[in-house]
Amino acid sequence: MPEAALRVLDFGSVRPLRSQTLWHAVARGVSAGAPPTISFVRPTDPYVCLGYHRRIDEVDLDLCARRGLPVYRRMVGGGPVYLDNDQLFFQVCLPLASLPARRDKALRLLLEPAVEAFRAVGVDASLDRSGEIVVGDAKVCGHGAAQIDEAVAFVGNLIEHFDHEAASDVVQSPSPEARDLLARLIRRYVRATPCDADAFREAATDAYASAFGLEPSVGSLTSAEEEAVAELDGKFEDPRWRDGLDRAAQTTDHSVWRVKVRAGVWAVEAELAGSRLLAAVVDGRLEAVSVDDAELNGSAAAVERAIAGWPLGEAEARLVAFGPPGQRLAEALARVGRRLE
Amino acid sequence: MTGDTYRIVRGYRLALDRAYDRETHMWVSVQDGDRVRIGLDPLGVETTGSIAQLAVLRSPSSLRRGEQFGSLEAEKFVGPLLAPLSGVVVACNDAAIADPGLLHRDRFGEGWLAEMDARDLAAERQELVEGAEEIVAWFESKVDEYRLRGVLAE
Repeated sequence: MPEAALRVLDFGSVRPLRSQTLWHAVARGVSAGAPPTISFVRPTDPYVCLGYHRRIDEVDLDLCARRGLPVYRRMVGGGPVYLDNDQLFFQVCLPLASLPARRDKALRLLLEPAVEAFRAVGVDASLDRSGEIVVGDAKVCGHGAAQIDEAVAFVGNLIEHFDHEAASDVVQSPSPEARDLLARLIRRYVRATPCDADAFREAATDAYASAFGLEPSVGSLTSAEEEAVAELDGKFEDPRWRDGLDRAAQTTDHSVWRVKVRAGVWAVEAELAGSRLLAAVVDGRLEAVSVDDAELNGSAAAVERAIAGWPLGEAEARLVAFGPPGQRLAEALARVGRRLE
Repeated sequence: MTGDTYRIVRGYRLALDRAYDRETHMWVSVQDGDRVRIGLDPLGVETTGSIAQLAVLRSPSSLRRGEQFGSLEAEKFVGPLLAPLSGVVVACNDAAIADPGLLHRDRFGEGWLAEMDARDLAAERQELVEGAEEIVAWFESKVDEYRLRGVLAE
């Protein structure tokens, strides 16, 4: 019996808006009965894309406007990301029923072929316990997923060159120091893996076809999908969609800023009654700590030394020894802890 | 609630004072007249994973049973929340939206999702599982089925 087809679509380089709406239309098509599909696309120009649930104020819109960077919201999860022509994006759209009901299992099934593709082109990638595709401890592939109607769309990227500076600049930061910290963490924990992109495309196609028992077959959009692209173009350019005004979602907590760099790695800043704490949280422990409180009277460095390297809960306890400013910083840290749960 | 309100079924703490939708894993608790409160049952929470984001659509129009009223995100995977009854969403739980961990910590209490004015409660209620023995029997069979299919850990 012939195997069912994995439709292969290579959209090439397209304008930023289309680099999103094309594959969202494919997801709708697969939901309506089009074959399982793997697609590839590059944006001709840089832009910023926000995950479905995230607040628009997580993006530095003024900076994006100054640099001429469009901002779009996708239907899959994750945070604000910077995309450009040095990244090859792939999308796998499958009928919902072909995946396990349990999301962590579904996600693992969708991630493993991508790891295989990286390895096939000589990148020593692996899937770590937190579900990131990594080389060492650096993330090499951003990913996200969503159920779109009766299909699941999984997206990832091959990063041939990464503009770490731009990636940190587009994220709204409460202070220049916070932005610097974020930039350092992105440089440390997100890595490009230059390789033969054509070979990666072939390897990814083969890996997903094999994983789902499908036969790759180059195809094209259906007419319904082409109509969906046009409709989605309008939706994605509608400020109501972009800004997330169609839903009640998390509101801004101005006392805590946190940005996830990769699973288990955060840049955080918290302010409470004049006390400010800026740090990296790596696997639950504080690093690169900087504190500020007018009442510390020159003991900020001692406070920073006292809590660097400690898990958040223990660091809170150690802060209390520094009197009222320490207690304020402990409360600020407690707020950080609650937001990272 | 009395001690009889909850029962441990196949290792899951289950509230028996409400109804359940077999397909969407939503619980439904009638509040007053046609006003119902809805939330996610233990299997819905477990299969979703560690919930990081929650949103409820601002839609003044009436939903049909099975239509999307909101969404959840776990591990960067976004999925829909489907209405267990037809009607209008009249309130959402801001506390759960701010802290989706409530769905894990107190799924039958503070972790509710939304309130609806049901359009045809009497008729659609027949589609839900209700009554202690019926709920337990349904839930046991669902857990067994999920374990057999590898959806849940043994």
